[in-house]
This record gives sequence, C-alpha cells and structure tokens, in this order.
Amino acid sequence: MTSTETRADRFVRELTVLKIPDPAAGRAALWLRAGAALMTIGVVLGVSAYFISHNTSDPLVQNDALTLGLAAVAGSVVGSALFLRYSLTGFLRYWMARQSYDVELLADRLLERELRHDPTGTDAAPR
Amino acid sequence: MSALLELRGIRAAHERITVLHGVDLDVAAGQVVALLGPNGAGKTTTLRVAAGVHPVESGQLVLGGRDMTGADPRDLARAGVCLIPEGRGVFPNLSVRDNLLMMTFTGRGREEIEEIAFARFPVLARRAGQAAGTLSGGEQQMLALARGLATDPAVLLLDELSMGLAPLVVGRLYEQVGEIARQGVAVLVVEQFAAAVLDICDHAAVLVRGRVERQGHPDGGLRAELSALYLGSST
Repeated sequence: MTSTETRADRFVRELTVLKIPDPAAGRAALWLRAGAALMTIGVVLGVSAYFISHNTSDPLVQNDALTLGLAAVAGSVVGSALFLRYSLTGFLRYWMARQSYDVELLADRLLERELRHDPTGTDAAPR
Repeated sequence: MSALLELRGIRAAHERITVLHGVDLDVAAGQVVALLGPNGAGKTTTLRVAAGVHPVESGQLVLGGRDMTGADPRDLARAGVCLIPEGRGVFPNLSVRDNLLMMTFTGRGREEIEEIAFARFPVLARRAGQAAGTLSGGEQQMLALARGLATDPAVLLLDELSMGLAPLVVGRLYEQVGEIARQGVAVLVVEQFAAAVLDICDHAAVLVRGRVERQGHPDGGLRAELSALYLGSST
C-alpha cells in the first residue's frame, strides 16, 4: 500500500482480492432450522415408538418400535447439537467480546493502582 | 471519477411481492447522492441491496467496478461498506463508550475509535459514560454516525437520518455528512423529507413505486418536480 493511496483506491484494491464465497456454503439459517426440525421429529417419533410397542404383543413389531425409538433419540440428540451450535454462536461472539473488554478494563485499573502506589510505603491509599 | 457503488437494473422482492423494478443508481467517491421518495417507494430496500443484506431477483450490485451481487454482507462491511439503518442502530442499554467499543471488531483500537468519534462529535465525549438510550435523538444519531465512521467506510449508506429529529439538528447532522463525503467517502442517503438533504447532495434520485422516476442535480427543476412526484401527479 502506498501513502498516496486514497480510501476509494484501497476499497477497489481490497474488493479486487476479496474472495466471494459460494452463497451455498453459508447456510447457517438452514442448519438451524434443520436442527430444530430434527429435534422435534425425534421427540414425536420417540413417543410414537413407545405407543406402538405398548399397543401390540407381536415381538416383531416391538422390535421395529425399539429401532424406531432409538433412531428417534439419536436424531433428536443430533438435532439438539445442531440447534445449539447455530443458535449460540452469535450470542457467544458478543459475550466473548464483552469478557475481553472487562478483563482489559480490570488490567488497566490494576496497573493504574500499581503505578499510583508509593513504594516507600508512605501513601495511605489501600491497594 | 468512476462510481464506487453502482446499482444496475436491480429488481428485489419482499416475500413474493416485487418492490424494486429495475433501479439504476451510481455513487462516486466524495459524492452525496440522495434517494428520495414517498413512504413505501422501496428506498430502504434499495439501501439494503446496496449493503448486500437484501437479495436481488435480478440486476447487479457493482462495487469498485467489480460485480459483488450475492457477496456476503460481512465481507462487504469489512471492505468498507457501512449501513446505518433507520432507527439509529445503537445499543440503548450500553454506554456511549461501550457502543463505540463494539466497533473494535474492525481491528481498530478503542482509543483510535474514540478519538475519531469524539473529534467529530465532541458532545459524545461529554456523554461517554451515559447509556445510549438516554441520549437525545440527535445525539443517538451522532453516535450511530460515529460508529459508522469507526469502520473507516468507503461507501456510507444512511437511512432516514432525519427521522424524529428537529430541523436544526437534522441540518447539523447533514453538514457532518457533507464533511464526511468531502474526505472521499461515497455517501448514499435515503430520505423521505427531501428538504433536509437537497442542500448538501450532489445528485438526487426520486424513487416512486420501485422505479427511479427522475434523477439529476438537485437544482430548481428537480425541486419543483418533487412535490408532484410525491403526490403521484405529473407537472
């Protein structure tokens, strides 16, 4: 970058090298919805499997109901994980920014207090 | 100078209702372009398309000579496209200082951001510890502008800066917008109240029902036609 480069020149240069990602790659909203759907379907199928297994004395049908129930629980767990992953990301990003700021502020205050402290021990200010 | 922001035949919709029917608009570096029009004309949608946050049905969003249609708005924001939305877009529960701190995601330090903000809007320095929600409307708009400036924008998109503010305050804010443009920033302003922005803009376009009905230098001719366009009759 040269010193005579204007903001507009820099803007054009940065856009030239900007890699435009495939819009299909950023499907956070889709994953969020898929997670919620999987979670709901898992619960519904799990409850259905319970009733199927209890409303028959045929062991083959009960076996199918068991398989369905286990698959539903697995689907629900995966759905919950997806939902949490995509719903919490945004929140945690801001939370981390806030934490960083608070730590920085605390460090500044401690450093300032340290600098104000008289090493001869004649100051009355509490440390 | 060639345009930094170009909208080419933009068609865009809300749900399945098309609200922009082929909008063409150019904004060059150092230029203030006002996009005027009555309520519901599609001004805010045009601005959101320019920021990359609203998808287009057809047409091109060209930035710095490159077709950026469909680009991630976060990439555009990092490159220097800054949208200040209607309603100021500040965090009301955070202090002025914390609102500015949020802009450190751009890579600039807290001190540098505060220096830029407080130099342009000294009143914010006096309100640094105050919650943004307790500021006056004008001060909140100053804070929104300061947050925008902290991103070192090349293209600044302003939506209804005058909303809910006294004319005197609006005049002062637009003076600042003019100053920002003179530093080489391309500014596109959406405004429902034409009088507020015509004094400082270099070019004005009037949007009616999703179409640019008239555009040009904001001279007497355009001003005279504005009321007729707003009322939906021809002169």
